[in-house]
Amino acid sequence: MRTVLTVIVILAALLAGQVAVAQEEMTKDQWQQEMNKLTETQKSLKEQLKALQDEITAREGELSKLTGDYDKAMTDMYALVGATPEQAAAYRSEIEALKSKADELSRLSDADLVARSGEVEELAAKTNAMWDNKLSLVPEFWDGLTALNEQVKSLQNVLASQVKTYTVGTWSKDRDCLWNIAKKPTIYDNAWLWPKIWQGNRDQIKDPDIIEPGQKLKIPQGNVLTDEEKSAARKYYSSKVPKTPVE
Amino acid sequence: MQQRIRKVTGTSVALLLVGAFLLAGCSSSPSEEQLRQLSDLKTEVDALGKEVSSAAAKKGELDKQIADLQAKIQKANADMATVKQRLAK
Repeated sequence: MRTVLTVIVILAALLAGQVAVAQEEMTKDQWQQEMNKLTETQKSLKEQLKALQDEITAREGELSKLTGDYDKAMTDMYALVGATPEQAAAYRSEIEALKSKADELSRLSDADLVARSGEVEELAAKTNAMWDNKLSLVPEFWDGLTALNEQVKSLQNVLASQVKTYTVGTWSKDRDCLWNIAKKPTIYDNAWLWPKIWQGNRDQIKDPDIIEPGQKLKIPQGNVLTDEEKSAARKYYSSKVPKTPVE
Repeated sequence: MQQRIRKVTGTSVALLLVGAFLLAGCSSSPSEEQLRQLSDLKTEVDALGKEVSSAAAKKGELDKQIADLQAKIQKANADMATVKQRLAK
């Protein structure tokens, strides 16, 4: 009897274990259901993929056609002003270079900008020259140059606000000449800086020995002569040295 | 007599358990081959799902490029009209 009971207990334990394992495993019906579900999903995905690939092919064709249309439209537009796309690209690069120069100057302090006022004038001249090219009529360049003009104008305004002016008085009353004006404590307090006033007013002073009462002179900033001003001064002094007669 | 009844009962219970054990052991579960098929199919469906997502993304990108280019062409045509006006002045 004991043997029988032992066998029963062992078999019951084995049965319980097998039932538990069987519950975790998939039945054939479940497998079939899963296979059917996945096969349907696979079919649907294949159809979706095929449809998408067809649409992609169609769009790639459309994109290629539109690219051609765009290139033609641009070439036609440049042709209106007698330019090629390559010339337009070169013109664009020039504007970008000027813009970059304007940005660099705009970042300077007012004092540094005054020291580099020559570059501002050069930039203004180059920007003006860009308008002479018919490519400037193309809106892309027109807008770029207009913005550049504004930037240059604002730099020039900063320079103008930094430059003092002096109205020339009479010799009899004020003893005004470039030397004496530069010597004034309110100007440079240094007579040797007179070439600065001359070079800063070349538009109205041809001969530094001659200035007229009422002339409004710009007084450039700085307390040293630039190379350009030194060179102008040297030329002036050498022209004043009496020539030795040749024997 | 009682001993005999016990013996018979014990044997019957043992036989029942053996029967149940055999039934449980012989229940219909998929073969190794079928399980492998199922696993392969799952892998294929996953890969297809990824391909579909990737193709849909590519289509979206192409749609965007087409829209951008159409806008650029429209602008180029408008610009051309402006250039003509400026040349006429």
